[in-house]
Amino acid sequence: MGKFTKLSAMIFTLLLVSNGFGQSLFFSGYGRNYTGALINGDHEYTIIQNTFNLNIEHSKNNVAFKVNPYIYQYPNAELKLNLREAYMDIFFDSMDLRIGKQQIIWGKADGVFITDIISPKDLSEFLLRDFEEIRTGITSIKADYYMGNNTLELVWAPTFTPTIMPDDNSFWYPQMYFPIAPTFDNSKRDVEQNVGNGEYFAKYSVLSSAIDFEIMAGYMWDDDPTMHITKTMNSQTKQLTSLTITPEHHRLGLGGGSFSSTLGSFVLRGEGAYYNGKYFNTENPQIADGVVEKNYLHYLVGLEFTLFNINMSTQFIQQAILDYDKPIKNDEFENTMTFLAYKTFLRETLRLELFSYIGLNNSDALVRPKITYDFSDGFQMVFGANIFVGDEGRFGQYDDNDMLYAKIKYSF
Amino acid sequence: MLNKQIKLAILAIFIAIPFITFAQETLTGLQIIQNVYDRPAGEDQVGDLTMSLINSRGDERVRTIKQFVKEFDNMEKKIMYFVSPADVRNTSFMNWSYNEEGKDDDQWIYLPALKRVKRISSDSKSDYFMGSDFTYDDLGDRHPSSDTHKLLREEKLNGEDCYVVESTPKEEEYMYSRTVTWIIKDKWIGMKKEFYDEDGDHLKTLSVKKFEKIDNLWTILHSEMHNVQKNHTTKMELKNVKLNTGIPDNKFTERMMKRGI
Repeated sequence: MGKFTKLSAMIFTLLLVSNGFGQSLFFSGYGRNYTGALINGDHEYTIIQNTFNLNIEHSKNNVAFKVNPYIYQYPNAELKLNLREAYMDIFFDSMDLRIGKQQIIWGKADGVFITDIISPKDLSEFLLRDFEEIRTGITSIKADYYMGNNTLELVWAPTFTPTIMPDDNSFWYPQMYFPIAPTFDNSKRDVEQNVGNGEYFAKYSVLSSAIDFEIMAGYMWDDDPTMHITKTMNSQTKQLTSLTITPEHHRLGLGGGSFSSTLGSFVLRGEGAYYNGKYFNTENPQIADGVVEKNYLHYLVGLEFTLFNINMSTQFIQQAILDYDKPIKNDEFENTMTFLAYKTFLRETLRLELFSYIGLNNSDALVRPKITYDFSDGFQMVFGANIFVGDEGRFGQYDDNDMLYAKIKYSF
Repeated sequence: MLNKQIKLAILAIFIAIPFITFAQETLTGLQIIQNVYDRPAGEDQVGDLTMSLINSRGDERVRTIKQFVKEFDNMEKKIMYFVSPADVRNTSFMNWSYNEEGKDDDQWIYLPALKRVKRISSDSKSDYFMGSDFTYDDLGDRHPSSDTHKLLREEKLNGEDCYVVESTPKEEEYMYSRTVTWIIKDKWIGMKKEFYDEDGDHLKTLSVKKFEKIDNLWTILHSEMHNVQKNHTTKMELKNVKLNTGIPDNKFTERMMKRGI
């Protein structure tokens, strides 16, 4: 009854809106089937998902709006209906205002989130979702002031939206090692929605012949909760008797920037940010709740080029914890690389692609070969694999989740 | 008195004719190609471009683009909005092409799924544009100094008096070993162009099917590129063309790439 009501409401709204705006309302979107199964074991399905994604747009003179509802349907499960975006635009001579739920993407990096921190991530399927789907929209007011090719952008998000984590029973639920089964105390997990708990971001960007660059700053909440750990010990045996984990989001300040420039046939990219007030888990027994506050740097350099008519791109990423203490669980320096190679055939209707993340600290990797074929205009088939290499680390923890998948998508 | 004037005029004409003929004959290949390059195209242009890709079986795929072009002091700026097919709608492409010899174009692409304007290398001039038979270089204005030009002959083509000019690239690794262009004498329009591959074999032929004077400027409206080796054709039609409408400078910015048409 719940999903029926939602669907009915959606259809009713669409009809109402269509009648009101007549021909000037523009509809686009896609329908898609996405099926994936494990390579190992019983070849269990990792996903069977049917998707309907709709963009409804209208513009008139200096105003416009867009609504992007989407439905995920899984076998024997409730329909998941949501709005990826729903916003209004007001265009002035030198300024644009966008108000409502929106995805805001900053930075120059591919597949790495350094200054791209406004729209939280949906990690329900780890990092495997398409770019459009991995970022969630946030309710905010965005103002862009233009001076030629220079832009000042200010964003105010009145409420906090955290990262969407995989369900406990999901294939993609991250590994957490505890000596005994922990108890979760979620009493501090939510950030109260009030005026004082908003997020604020500013960016100044330039697009020019020589270089494109952005300088940004943010006063935000850490999208990922810090896991505060409370231990209870038996005073006689010195054995751990209980472990309580209290997830809590903390304030985070950051400043950074990114650039992109061409050097002959190469495109050189860089991006970096200084995070102030990030919490890390520590094994130092002197620390009561198992976390310490440290500042840290996150940056990358990347190069895009063509070799043997194959388009390639590589990035080196480093996360460095400043004023590092040995008992911190994370490494002082965590190094990652990405590598992308692709080539198109048959007049760009067939694309072969290989993308991979390589974790240098744990010698783990995620390797993603993919074949995309445009059977006809708007009708696309994708066949691919997600191969996890290693035993531990961000990618190696999913070593048992190697999967093959197919996506069939019709765009209209 | 009148008789004397007529005699002088006739004499002048007889003296001038050989010089006029001589002047025409002495136009070099470079001068002819330079005239094509310099043919006025207006301060700005807006139009709807339809590209039809037809393969050897006759199957057709259609791409539609809205494009804006404007001349600036030292460069030409172009912005293209992809209208169809549906999966590329709202993608935009911006190109800044510099008059300065040897200076590479700057190019950016906006992909709506990424919601980001991304700088791309303009080095891929030999890549085919959207799967068509036109390379990025075919679509741009190749500077005359990039090739060595030789006037081969003069002949009529489709009723038009044409110069036939062979152009050989100075760059050894260029994708074509040579091109041969039929240029209409009084209009400086390349009416037909043959492209030869690196082995010297005929690769493709560009034919201009329709051109008109818009705002007193010759404008190509319909052309076809036929790849003779793969028997594949791309028809390119420009509709709703407007010249000199005063497109504002800020049309060619990141803001407009993101906002769309």
